[in-house]
Amino acid sequence: MKAASRTMTSAADRTQAVDDTRGRPAARAALVAVPVLVVLTAAPLVLGAYPVSTMTRILAFAVLVLSVDLLTGVTGLPTLGQAAYFGAGAYTAALVGIHLTSDALVQALAGLAAGLVTAAVTGWVAVRARGIVFLMLTLAIGESVHQVADTWSAVGASNGLAGMPPISLFGGAPLVAAGFVYWWVLAVAVIVYAAVALVVRSPYGRTLRGIRDNEPRLRALGYRPALARYGVFCMAGAVAGAGGALWAAHTRFVSPGDLGFEVAALALLSVVIGGAGSLWGPCLGAALVLLVRDNLSASIGGHGPLVLGLAFVAVVFLLPRGIAGIRRRKERLS
Amino acid sequence: MTPLLELRGLTHTYGSLRAVDQVDLAVLPGERHALIGPNGAGKSTLFATVAGTLPATAGTVLFDGQDITAQRESERARRGLLRTYQHASLFLNCSVLDNVALAVQRVDRVAHRFDRAARRFGRTQSRALEHLDAVGLAGRAADHAAALSHGERRQLEVAMVLAAHPTLVMFDEPTAGMSAAETERFADLVERLPDSLTLLIVEHDLDVVFRLADRVTVLHLGKVLASGPPEQIRADDAVRSAYLGAARTEDLFTGDPR
Amino acid sequence: MATYLVSVLNGLAMGALLFAIALGLSLVFGMMDVLNLAHGAVYLVGAYIAVALAADGASPAAFVLAVLLAGVAGAVLGGLLAGLTRATPHHLDQALLTLGVSLVVAETLSAVFGNDVHSIAAPAPVAGSVTVFGETYPVYRLLVIAFGLVLAAGVYVLVERSPLGSLIRATVADRGMVSALGVNTGRVLVGVFAAGAGLAAVGGVLAGPILGAQPGLDEKVLLLALVVVVIGGLGSVRGALLGAVLIGQVQALGTALLPEYASFLIFAAMGLVLLLRPAGLLPARAAVHA
Repeated sequence: MKAASRTMTSAADRTQAVDDTRGRPAARAALVAVPVLVVLTAAPLVLGAYPVSTMTRILAFAVLVLSVDLLTGVTGLPTLGQAAYFGAGAYTAALVGIHLTSDALVQALAGLAAGLVTAAVTGWVAVRARGIVFLMLTLAIGESVHQVADTWSAVGASNGLAGMPPISLFGGAPLVAAGFVYWWVLAVAVIVYAAVALVVRSPYGRTLRGIRDNEPRLRALGYRPALARYGVFCMAGAVAGAGGALWAAHTRFVSPGDLGFEVAALALLSVVIGGAGSLWGPCLGAALVLLVRDNLSASIGGHGPLVLGLAFVAVVFLLPRGIAGIRRRKERLS
Repeated sequence: MTPLLELRGLTHTYGSLRAVDQVDLAVLPGERHALIGPNGAGKSTLFATVAGTLPATAGTVLFDGQDITAQRESERARRGLLRTYQHASLFLNCSVLDNVALAVQRVDRVAHRFDRAARRFGRTQSRALEHLDAVGLAGRAADHAAALSHGERRQLEVAMVLAAHPTLVMFDEPTAGMSAAETERFADLVERLPDSLTLLIVEHDLDVVFRLADRVTVLHLGKVLASGPPEQIRADDAVRSAYLGAARTEDLFTGDPR
Repeated sequence: MATYLVSVLNGLAMGALLFAIALGLSLVFGMMDVLNLAHGAVYLVGAYIAVALAADGASPAAFVLAVLLAGVAGAVLGGLLAGLTRATPHHLDQALLTLGVSLVVAETLSAVFGNDVHSIAAPAPVAGSVTVFGETYPVYRLLVIAFGLVLAAGVYVLVERSPLGSLIRATVADRGMVSALGVNTGRVLVGVFAAGAGLAAVGGVLAGPILGAQPGLDEKVLLLALVVVVIGGLGSVRGALLGAVLIGQVQALGTALLPEYASFLIFAAMGLVLLLRPAGLLPARAAVHA
């Protein structure tokens, strides 16, 4: 148990408070958020199909990264298992798309529910642990789910699930153009971001930060943190599941690789690069990580993981508090 | 009057060391009860055993007439049994306001709500600010708790515990490491607390003890050596002679390194 | 009946390999709370060394050379990892560092050896089969089981009966106290890290004729080793042995009876153990921290 408390404080050291936004006038936040949203919305009007497709994938991946941040940054539970719930969402959305309906809303909700249920079923094993043991258990869960997807013929085993028809919205025509799919993914991603931001700022978010910083103290104040931990685990599963559904809506093909170790590791890397606990930082980190993997990778003969591996080592030594940390440091200096 | 807190033969052993040995103690409602004794007397272990941080090896803890020996720490806190720690135990990466609000929102039963932002829970926010104000930290509500000085951290912990709606507060050396001004502020704060609140204070500063306490219990080697009104303890021969032959009780306690 | 015997033997062979691999992971975790995510990659280094030196039924000398080389390479990698992780005090950072190393190592291996699936033949003299209770069974796997027995006995003597072993066990139990006693825990930690990694790489060579070598195998092996460690109890040598034997059996039985659901079975086994014994079957710290 001593080890658990040791690792817990270290997880807290690694992260920082999210509540720095409270004192800042809402107007200043809007000053950044509105132009960002305008640029994101206008992107398909100016960009070609390939960049738009890249941005769609980044958005879906960013939703997964948000779920990792909710656990790692806000609650102090570093996880390598969220790709499992992302995959559960993606597979469910693809199955719904193939067998039931092409309605994107139904698919997204089904993906969210699948992530939630999978997390609820597997989470009780993980949330008993803290710190690095939690990391270990989530990794084991994630890899187990990956193995299941890789061998279970009902979901195509190692071939994955192909043949998902294009999504449609509200009974309309199938959305074939990359731009429309992008707008749908953007809309859902923004809603999820807002929902996660609300949770982080709510009393529950405060409880979660309390768990991150000092769980014994929380217990001595009369809290029963076990339920709160399980709750946030399920919540993060739902968010990851929604991200998976968005991923499937865009790629229309799901394979075991989508919920593998690499995806989970990249999501954790994004959070660490971006700055655990901040919400916008990890989203930026998600963009950076996917761009490196998909674009840089091609230009150096497909050895993207090599770059990412070095990135992990570099981030630990050069950016201990992530991108969000750089800004905070500058604010403190000025 | 039935005691609010009653310990019967409470014992906690670390291996073969009996840190708390057959302690009987009764704290009446509204009492300011001080617990003194040299280092290693078992004060902190006694606190931890009463609060439920450590399990009792033997004996019972009665709180408000109910046996709570088997209850978990969080259950005891929910009944109103709250404690501070020798080294302030805070949420260092949270804001100062959050630290107190965490205590308030549990009492207000909104700790798991996520339908709106925390600052929109007006009652919780304003009560948290009131508690901060009472310890003079209202101006630092937005700062990180990690940015506070040692003395301020102790004040914050006091505010946090008082915000958790206690009926009995156990202060573990509350003024250790505080400046003279901070100690004065703490003593003032305790004197202003409502009479209905019961206090059990471990304290080394005998000025504070004799200023605040209605009743003093002396613990030595895990056992109760004497218990009574402050004047009686000052005059108690057993208390004097038990300590290395010190001539005056004050010398002994003030000579304590901590 | 006989098919079950084959399955049990397969499970024992698997368990022997898993013990060799999981032991280092468990001890490193128990002694310094470092989750070495590069452990699977170290294993894979061993497997590819076997590919390079002893792929097609090579002479026993070549195989022994591969084992020795893998041991050295693993120990060097382990020493490197120990040095890296000691540079930062945060456990999450340490895990990220080992993750980075694992990606670099795995990618380097696939750059050198390509993405093909390599199978490795057992060294010529033991490539055949013998008849065990009326079933033919590969000699090599029997040798692996024997290796597991020898390893378990050797580790038992080293860890439970030698002064070095008591130092290791004490460090697992309470590192702070051991360094307070004036022992330089750093050197013990690096030594255990290197030895554990060397053992994992040796496991990679020995497992070569059974599991082969291919990209992605590092993750699978890391997962199995993690499950073994979690089931057995963190930092516990006996736990690692018990966990390895159990998972070996579950894996073999699952593959024999329900190949499609073997991975479900392993997860179910882990869930069941954690439900009943959250700290693992034979936790190392139980005696010290109540």
